[in-house]
Amino acid sequence: MLIERCAYSNHWRSVSPAAKALFALCGLLAAFLAARPQAACCVALVLAVVTCTGARIRPLAYLRAATPALLFLATGSLSLLISVHASPTGVPQIGWAPDATSQMAHLASRSLAALAALLMLVLTTPLPDSIGLLRCLHVPDLLLDLMVLCYRMLFVFSSAMQDTASAQTSRLGYATPRLALRSAGMLAANLTLQVWQRAAALHTAALARANDGPLRFLSTQFAHARRDTCIAGLAGMAVIALGVLA
Amino acid sequence: MNSPRAPILQLDEVVYHYADGSSGLDHCSLAIAQGSRNAVIGVNGSGKTTLFQHANGLFTAERGSVRYAGQPLDYSRRGLRELRSKVGLVFQNPDRQLFSASVLEDVSFGPLNLGLDEATVRHRVDTALAAVGMLEHAAKPVHALSFGQKKRVCIAGVLAMEPELLVLDEPMAGLDPQMQAELLAVLEDLHDKGISLLISTHDVEFAYQWADTIHVMQQGRCVLSLDAYDLPAHGEDLARAGLALPTVIRLHAELVCQGILKPRPQPRSTHELLALLGAREKDNSMPENSASLARRAV
Repeated sequence: MLIERCAYSNHWRSVSPAAKALFALCGLLAAFLAARPQAACCVALVLAVVTCTGARIRPLAYLRAATPALLFLATGSLSLLISVHASPTGVPQIGWAPDATSQMAHLASRSLAALAALLMLVLTTPLPDSIGLLRCLHVPDLLLDLMVLCYRMLFVFSSAMQDTASAQTSRLGYATPRLALRSAGMLAANLTLQVWQRAAALHTAALARANDGPLRFLSTQFAHARRDTCIAGLAGMAVIALGVLA
Repeated sequence: MNSPRAPILQLDEVVYHYADGSSGLDHCSLAIAQGSRNAVIGVNGSGKTTLFQHANGLFTAERGSVRYAGQPLDYSRRGLRELRSKVGLVFQNPDRQLFSASVLEDVSFGPLNLGLDEATVRHRVDTALAAVGMLEHAAKPVHALSFGQKKRVCIAGVLAMEPELLVLDEPMAGLDPQMQAELLAVLEDLHDKGISLLISTHDVEFAYQWADTIHVMQQGRCVLSLDAYDLPAHGEDLARAGLALPTVIRLHAELVCQGILKPRPQPRSTHELLALLGAREKDNSMPENSASLARRAV
């Protein structure tokens, strides 16, 4: 919900998603092309600052959105410093791999820059706009239909889950660990049934509106798409130059 | 009073059973006149929603016939597409109808299914959203809307297909009085544009106030179709269907019994009843006013 809130309330909401996607792509390229870890860190920092200042995303919200990915990145990177090797007696031994430090620094810094590029995109672009862009890029209909339905159902089921959990809580459903386990099981069973019913209802609703094939929708139009894309292209090239030259 | 008009939709002795064997419609017959406002009233499980799904071709009658504009429904792919472009169905629960990410996308879904070009679809979407007062919410995600707004988007999604007959299943359910009034204004506007309207409701007061024709459903059968003005004479029929006469009818009848009001004109709402009482008081005070004016003149 945090990402969703930022995507709808940021200063770049009306900027063409194609422009933001191009800038993010340049950010990813810059991360890939960064010759040194310091350069990749510079790219990450620039992308984060641009996102927070340009799109006016609060730094705290930015950090909160980045935290799960940063934790994953930290775990993955630190694991590179550990090596498992067989001792002369054949027993596996775990030890530090000091020679992997440089490799870890490269990997972590590039991943950090790539994360900053993707965060710039998702924190400034609502998913419907991204789906519209993918539609323009002729991504297969089946994939887009799944994305649309999953996105919509996420909120419908979140609401249904909260309602059911509240109804259970009000009747002491979570009063003890044993009851909580039972209630959680009933909640899952109830939601499973709802998934099935809702899927049938949505199919009926689609038929009622003359649908007999892929789901077709209009996408939002952006007034200054060409201008935005040019600016994003230039800014993106600057970021790539930073990654290569820094 | 309603002038006789050609039926746009007609069901004759329609029978339908659900997969579990329970009866949905049981020799149900009714006709919807072109350009009219129709309310289908009945208790839960009386077959209102099943009836509506026959109107849109979602269900196929086991026996009997469903006719649109005098022609039996064509259940081929092409026939259904044509029917659904003319008969718009708005479901009771908006969360079961809206499946697109944003308002604009959802409203564009129907007209795009009709194979219209993008410019026409954009024009229709804007017109439909303006008709329900949701144009400024076009870019919003569906999940950020209130229940009433979602209902409006559902109606816009069907209006954008420019139907001749708009079928709304319990449109007032879950709406507060202000939202109901706003939705009523939208329906009035659609009626003025010549769209035939068919809605289901439990609210007999609302049906009496709004509809030209009232259809009473009971156990899968339309047991009564009548001009709304004739409803006061059918209290017993309504009671048999588990419904009660509107309060305004009972109140008016009592006031007529006590000689306070005349049998005609017949009020359709509390507002109209109060207006009649106000006019009567004014009439009663007229001689005094006339007398005082006369006195002053002398």
